[in-house]
Amino acid sequence: MSDSRTGYEGYVTAAADPFDRPRAIGGRAPDVFRPGAWVPMRQYADTDEVDFAIVGTGAGGGTLACRLAEQGFSVVALDAGPFWRPLEDFASDETEQTKVFWMDDRLIDGDNPIKMGVNNSGKSVGGSTVHFQMVSLRFRPEWFSSRSQLGYAEDWPLDWREMWHYYDEVEDALAVAGPLHYPWGPKRKRYPYRPHELNAAALVLARGAEAMGTAWAACPLATVSAPRGLSPPCVHRGFCRIGCSTNAKQSVLTVWIPRALAAGAEIRDLAMVGRIETNDARRVTGVHYHREGQWRFQKARNVVVAGYAIETPRLLLLSESSRFPDGLANSSGLVGKYLMTQCNQSVWGLMDEEIRCYKGPPSLSINEHWNYVDRHPTKDFDGYYLFYSQGPLPLEWLAVQTGARGLWGEALRTEMEKYNHQAGLRMVGELLPYENNRVTLADETDQYGLRIPRITYTYSENDKRLIRHGMDQMEQHLRAAGATDIFRQEDDTNHLNGTARMGDNPTTSVVNADCRCWDIPNLWICDGSVFPTVGGVNPSETIQAIACRTADRIRRMAARGES
Amino acid sequence: MGSRSPHVMAATGPPSTPYGAGIGRRRGWWACAHHDEGGPVHRLRQIGHDEEGPVRRLPQIGYFASSPVRRAATPDRDRTMSAARRLNQAAGLLAASVLADSGVEHYRGCFENPAMYLPLASSALSLAASLHGTADARGGGHRLRDAIYALAGLTGVAGTGFHLYNIGKREGGWSWINLFYAAPVGAPMALSLSGLMGFLSERLRRTPSNRPPRLLGFPAGRTLAALTGAGLAGTTGEAGLLHFRGAFQNPAMVLPVTVPPIAAALLEATAAQDAPSPGLRRATGGLLRLTALLGFAGVGFHIYGVSRGMGGWRNWSQNVLNGPPIPAPPGFTGLALAGLAALWLLEGKQ
Ligand SMILES: Cc1cc2nc3c(=O)[nH]c(=O)nc-3n(C[C@H](O)[C@H](O)[C@H](O)COP(=O)(O)OP(=O)(O)OC[C@H]3O[C@@H](n4cnc5c(N)ncnc54)[C@H](O)[C@@H]3O)c2cc1C
Ligand code: SF4
Repeated sequence: MSDSRTGYEGYVTAAADPFDRPRAIGGRAPDVFRPGAWVPMRQYADTDEVDFAIVGTGAGGGTLACRLAEQGFSVVALDAGPFWRPLEDFASDETEQTKVFWMDDRLIDGDNPIKMGVNNSGKSVGGSTVHFQMVSLRFRPEWFSSRSQLGYAEDWPLDWREMWHYYDEVEDALAVAGPLHYPWGPKRKRYPYRPHELNAAALVLARGAEAMGTAWAACPLATVSAPRGLSPPCVHRGFCRIGCSTNAKQSVLTVWIPRALAAGAEIRDLAMVGRIETNDARRVTGVHYHREGQWRFQKARNVVVAGYAIETPRLLLLSESSRFPDGLANSSGLVGKYLMTQCNQSVWGLMDEEIRCYKGPPSLSINEHWNYVDRHPTKDFDGYYLFYSQGPLPLEWLAVQTGARGLWGEALRTEMEKYNHQAGLRMVGELLPYENNRVTLADETDQYGLRIPRITYTYSENDKRLIRHGMDQMEQHLRAAGATDIFRQEDDTNHLNGTARMGDNPTTSVVNADCRCWDIPNLWICDGSVFPTVGGVNPSETIQAIACRTADRIRRMAARGES
Repeated sequence: MGSRSPHVMAATGPPSTPYGAGIGRRRGWWACAHHDEGGPVHRLRQIGHDEEGPVRRLPQIGYFASSPVRRAATPDRDRTMSAARRLNQAAGLLAASVLADSGVEHYRGCFENPAMYLPLASSALSLAASLHGTADARGGGHRLRDAIYALAGLTGVAGTGFHLYNIGKREGGWSWINLFYAAPVGAPMALSLSGLMGFLSERLRRTPSNRPPRLLGFPAGRTLAALTGAGLAGTTGEAGLLHFRGAFQNPAMVLPVTVPPIAAALLEATAAQDAPSPGLRRATGGLLRLTALLGFAGVGFHIYGVSRGMGGWRNWSQNVLNGPPIPAPPGFTGLALAGLAALWLLEGKQ
């Protein structure tokens, strides 16, 4: 990797390679808003017993680190990934930007192995939100009680009304730009920023929805439509999914991490946690982590695991000992189980007019119609889904042609020439939790000598019916919008959830509603892995809302003197 | 009436301050923009000691030939003429704002429809006519200026029609998102207002010297105050919509939706009364001055706003197009000047 990077033209800097050595050292951390600049950072010694050691700084861990530090707790948050300054480190280049993803070896199997890497997991301070596409949605209230109200899967131990409050908090923090009237779900507070201008691809969705009689809306996005602090308004160039080089995106890296640092949290980049230590009292005592070529141990009164749905169960399983032979927090035997992804199929078509769908954030308009339909003659499945407009970058589009369609040579060239006229719809669908879809440990080891995860996944018949329904609907909407030459991209998944589910029964869940492990009271899990069900919307806003709630709960428990 | 004498006194000679002594003392910052005292017109007057000094120096041929009507100057007539020329200034500021703003915006829209050149042509003409009118101290109408102003008024109305059509035909129709991002619904009206101010100026100039000025059948000051108040309210609506789109992210964005509407309300209150109290007139004048100031300050704020785009002013070619419209705020100043002209007329009446 070269050590000279070009972000926005004009910011050509010779920044030290953030992979070479940690940046957040010596009492300072990178200032994400200024090339080459730093902000002061409080630092703790490994021997300091901090209140919280947090593993992972993504949607769950980064948010929680901020909120806990703001409440006065001492916090060290460790992330295996580097600490970026987007303005100088990010290039408008798909190949270069694979650096933001978690590309370490993982084994995948099952009937429908989940493709891992660029589509679903990040490795950076800020986690997967560094390259998420900013769709910021709330759960439908009934999904918090799927079993009791909708008759399938599991209930959450959380009340939707309480979550509504935390959604407000997250949307304010991220200055979500959304429509004035959101057509679905209960009344919500006005989005802090106005919706973005729609690109042609978004208007194709709108046209289809109007022709089909379903509602559509500008998609609520965590990228600003007007200046905010040092974030410029989004320039609609569409590189969001490989990392926003302008800082318009309101990711954990640009929102919660700077706040966390200002509140006194320490962020440790390039710090891979390999094991959580426990004592005879069956409590955790700290984390073993690898940084700058050596293994070290950070003492902590509490440990929070927030590595996302693959790395979280992996770390819990890796931390097995004679006291906890099945791994930590696993008396229920459920750690790693009930892995869920969301189906992410697309339907594509050709429009007469030029669309240039890659201009702008990929998903500028949204249709949540089928998230709010419980009964319909064509609905032969449990679960829900939405679809939105999309805008793949060139290499991504090339991969669709060579992968999903198997094109090559002259046929591929001809098809690529139509790129500017292509429009598509992409679904995010609820796949149900099954015990057999799981994360276990393989025998192979990675660069740290740690056993790598094995990810086993198979669609159920219900899942397949939901996917078929979604694709049929997307095709009908696309046709109604005037698209021709329609084809389907049948196989794609994104978002990962489950594997350390929350619940109100220690035998059927790993953590309680406060994200606290049933087995070990000073061990917490706060990320996408605590989801009992995944719903039909993108998960990051819910993860951040849970983190905000967890921080409030911890403050209250601490105030009552609970440990 | 206590405040009456200074005005009358001020009106007995060539005006020493634009708005009479009482109000004029508190003005100052726009003296240059005003060209009335210390500005080019006044200086020429001092040289030539002749109301028509500058006009004489203008070519009396072609499009800019003035009508030959000349009348003897009387105090009332001075005041009416002064108001008429202030309206030319107002029309000119509005036209300049539209010229620059529609130039940038329609360039951004790639002049996709040839009709998008029209507001540029019309506002350029209106600007030229306004400059001419500002310098023209003679009474009587001017047919070409009149025609140009009428054209501006009509172009603005037609533009509004186009913009409304553009909004309505989009997916989502009359929705917030289209109001935010489709052709701006209120912008063309600024051109109409420029035309209207010029048109009223021409009517004022035609006032026979022995009669109090009237506009559209009503006393001129009150008509002008009422129309300007409505124009200010509309312009506030446009600024409000766009600042709402910007989520009022900077507290200063609240200013154009607070100061001008108060000024507009006061103007309407002034217009509604046969004899508005000195207090009301003073308050209205104060708010109008603040509005005028705000129009220029807005340019500064918008220049700063452009700097907050990605790459700042180094990336001007994109940020000027996508940032806040730099030429738009002086529209407020134009209308405030018209409002002050209305007050000026009302004071004459007192
Ligand atoms: C391409 C893409 C687009 C997406 N778009 C959207 C979207 O539009 N809307 C939406 O809501 N969601 C979206 N998501 C999903 C969203 O980003 C994730 O659901 C969310 O970030 C998960 O949060 P998390 O805290 O569980 O994990 P992450 O945000 O992934 O954070 C986990 C962090 O933990 C670190 N980590 C893991 N293990 C260890 C360890 N052992 N030691 C140290 N550090 C460790 C990782 O490096 C990582 O930084 C998208 C995801 C991807 C990949
Ligand atoms: S489109 Fe907007 S959010 Fe996406 S990368 Fe560009 S500036 Fe960032």
